[in-house]
Amino acid sequence: MNQPDRPLQHEVTLLELVDRVLNKGVVLSGDITLSVAGVDLVYVGLRLLLASAGTVERLQDSDETRLLAPAASSR
Amino acid sequence: VSSALEARREQSLGTCWYLYGVVPASSAPDERFDWPSVTATGQVDVLGEGTLAAVVTPAPAVDFDQPGLDAHLQDAAWLESKIRAHEQVLERVLAHSSVLPFRFCTIYRSEESVRGFLRERRAELEAALGQLAGRVELGVKAFADRKRLAHRLGSGVQDEGLGEGESGGRAYLERRLAEQRSADDLERVALELVEAWHEELMAHAAAGTFLRLQTPEASGRPDDMLMNAAYLVEANDRGFIDAVAALRGEYEALGIVFELTGPWPPYNFVPDEAGTG
Repeated sequence: MNQPDRPLQHEVTLLELVDRVLNKGVVLSGDITLSVAGVDLVYVGLRLLLASAGTVERLQDSDETRLLAPAASSR
Repeated sequence: VSSALEARREQSLGTCWYLYGVVPASSAPDERFDWPSVTATGQVDVLGEGTLAAVVTPAPAVDFDQPGLDAHLQDAAWLESKIRAHEQVLERVLAHSSVLPFRFCTIYRSEESVRGFLRERRAELEAALGQLAGRVELGVKAFADRKRLAHRLGSGVQDEGLGEGESGGRAYLERRLAEQRSADDLERVALELVEAWHEELMAHAAAGTFLRLQTPEASGRPDDMLMNAAYLVEANDRGFIDAVAALRGEYEALGIVFELTGPWPPYNFVPDEAGTG
């Protein structure tokens, strides 16, 4: 398949990546997947690298009990 | 029976299968590439199953199964390297094939479990891949300095309706109201602009969606982000890129900057339900 030229930036910001690979893409198919709490944990883990006010708000909105649940879920 | 036994054997060997994405078997990369991957060994395997193929890496269960995974989720350096590897593998696949990107840390406990998933969900996966065939995701962001934009748009009304000699509470209140109206006006104008841009770009896209706006700290740009959107476009059609270039030319005078990113694996255009259940 031909690609468009990459006029596009090469050094993708981590936030740009994280928003896509953690919040989008096909979900819930694996034997192990990240739960919502796990995704929040990743944002917490990356907070210094992301430094996003939007992310912090999102975390404040999230249910605290959910944050205490196991990060990864398996079935 | 044998597959269940094998699954148990693989589990006891401490290997799990990290799934990056699913591709049509007809355009899948050759089996086994030594790409940068989520593991130190760098191995990426392509598991063909009928019309579909899974792009995977056999990975140590100690890292990707519980409790090891939970511990890693709090390690920023580990996370960043794995997130970047996930994206890099998918980008390499995207150069050769349509790809259905899976979410970070989608893991199977055996190769047979991956194959079983491809078999069981074949119809949905094929349908989702059909939507994405020959298409990639492009990101478009627009930035503006709101003060400059307000000035250029002539909507700075702070000085209107206030006489020279007016002062005190009412003047202050009126000025505040005027400022408020000004900010609302600007907000409305910005929304109208974003809608117009979106409509323009959708003429060259199969689908489009708005993403959450990023703060200046997150975007790395001092200006306000007015728009953050993703579009699903034909990989070999320059129409979309030309449309962005046209917007750049049209709005440069207003101090509005457009940023184009991609081509991305189409993370934002996978059906919500694909692969669930």
